[in-house]
Amino acid sequence: MRLPTGQISRFGTLKSLLQRFAFLSLIGVTFALMLIGKADTVLVERARDAVTDAVTPVLRVMSEPAAVVADFVNNLRELAAIREENAELRESNARLLQWQSAAQRLESENKSLRGLAALVPEPAATFITARVVADTGGAFAQSILITAGQSSGVRKGQVVMAGEGLVGRVMQAGLYSARVLLITDINSRIPVLVGEAGNRAILAGDNGLRPRLLFLGNKTAAAPGDKVVTSGDAEAFPPGLPIGQVARVEEGLVDVEPFVVRDKFQHVRVADYGLNGILAQQTPAKTPEK
Amino acid sequence: MQATVIQRMDITARRLVPFGVTLVLMLFAMTPTYVPGLSHVAPMYALMAVYFWSIYRPDLLGYGSTFAIGILEDLLAGTPLGSGALILLLCQRVVFHQQKFFNNKPFGIIWLAFALVAAGAALLRWLCVGLVATSGFTPIGQMSTAYLMTVAAYPIVGWLLAKAHMKLLSQ
Repeated sequence: MRLPTGQISRFGTLKSLLQRFAFLSLIGVTFALMLIGKADTVLVERARDAVTDAVTPVLRVMSEPAAVVADFVNNLRELAAIREENAELRESNARLLQWQSAAQRLESENKSLRGLAALVPEPAATFITARVVADTGGAFAQSILITAGQSSGVRKGQVVMAGEGLVGRVMQAGLYSARVLLITDINSRIPVLVGEAGNRAILAGDNGLRPRLLFLGNKTAAAPGDKVVTSGDAEAFPPGLPIGQVARVEEGLVDVEPFVVRDKFQHVRVADYGLNGILAQQTPAKTPEK
Repeated sequence: MQATVIQRMDITARRLVPFGVTLVLMLFAMTPTYVPGLSHVAPMYALMAVYFWSIYRPDLLGYGSTFAIGILEDLLAGTPLGSGALILLLCQRVVFHQQKFFNNKPFGIIWLAFALVAAGAALLRWLCVGLVATSGFTPIGQMSTAYLMTVAAYPIVGWLLAKAHMKLLSQ
């Protein structure tokens, strides 16, 4: 049956009104959600947990081809540089052998001194290795999603490392996946020690490649090349974890180059040092099954 | 003539193409690329897809679907909940509102218009994230680079979307 022209136009007006209504109400919902998120309710966090748990398997499959390509490119690059690398390795091997004998001597000395001082050893950390399946946020947030969650013992607030340095900490732990807030995220603040003198400062991310040092008492206290490690203040991180080195000191701004390059690692280690820092859950977390 | 069940399923599947493709692009934006520095300035793929479908198939991607994709992106990316959905919805609204302008325009004009829409979207997202986050605003340089990456990637993504459009929705 064909509708008369008047009816069609009325139908069209109704449809456009409905559309406008849908648009306005959805815009209202987005603002409401932003306010709810700002209040940081448990509800939003649970929703994030559920969604990341559900989507992580999909992201895992999607991240596979890029990982294969990256491995292939890395292999080619390594093959090209194999001779130089070999020479470098021989040299560093000779150097390390000298260090090894020094370390052995120090270890035995340390052991006897510990025995004398009756030192109570710190509890050992437990590690969980997980794959990185998503690199989220772009210019607006810096976090990664990993394939281990509460079911494997990952808890909010735990420390995440890759290779030789600190990656960040667990910000949200679902059942089978977790989100790691990177040290470069704008919301990341880490108490650190700078250089051999151990000057205290706060390492603050700004969503860029290099986080900055804030509240460094004396700006001249930092020079390019100075090592930056966690200080262990506030109990969010254990002391002495390597983060990076000072890359640039300019007009009172101190940039830090992290040891861990975000585009290089495919796996991370989640470490449980038994700390209950500021990010830990309000309710006491269960001890992970070992 | 009554359509068979298979034909009807085929039609439904085709109608879901814009939503599905936008969803996949949004997820694709999150997969690690292992390209140095790229993750900090990743292009806004979902915005490109919403813009494209709003011009060429406004009937198949409604406000509800766009909202759902935006919320999902926010939940996964850890950005303030609602900020991603807001810019996608506004982008769609602008395109719907200017439907006559977009009719039969050459690619150059569409691209230029996208650059304008994306500039507004990036600025608004930057404002939302900065206002909601506790630690202030992302440096504007970072955001501008992400914006330029988005504009630069549009021809490639737009071409792929056009291929999908012609192949799956031409009937």
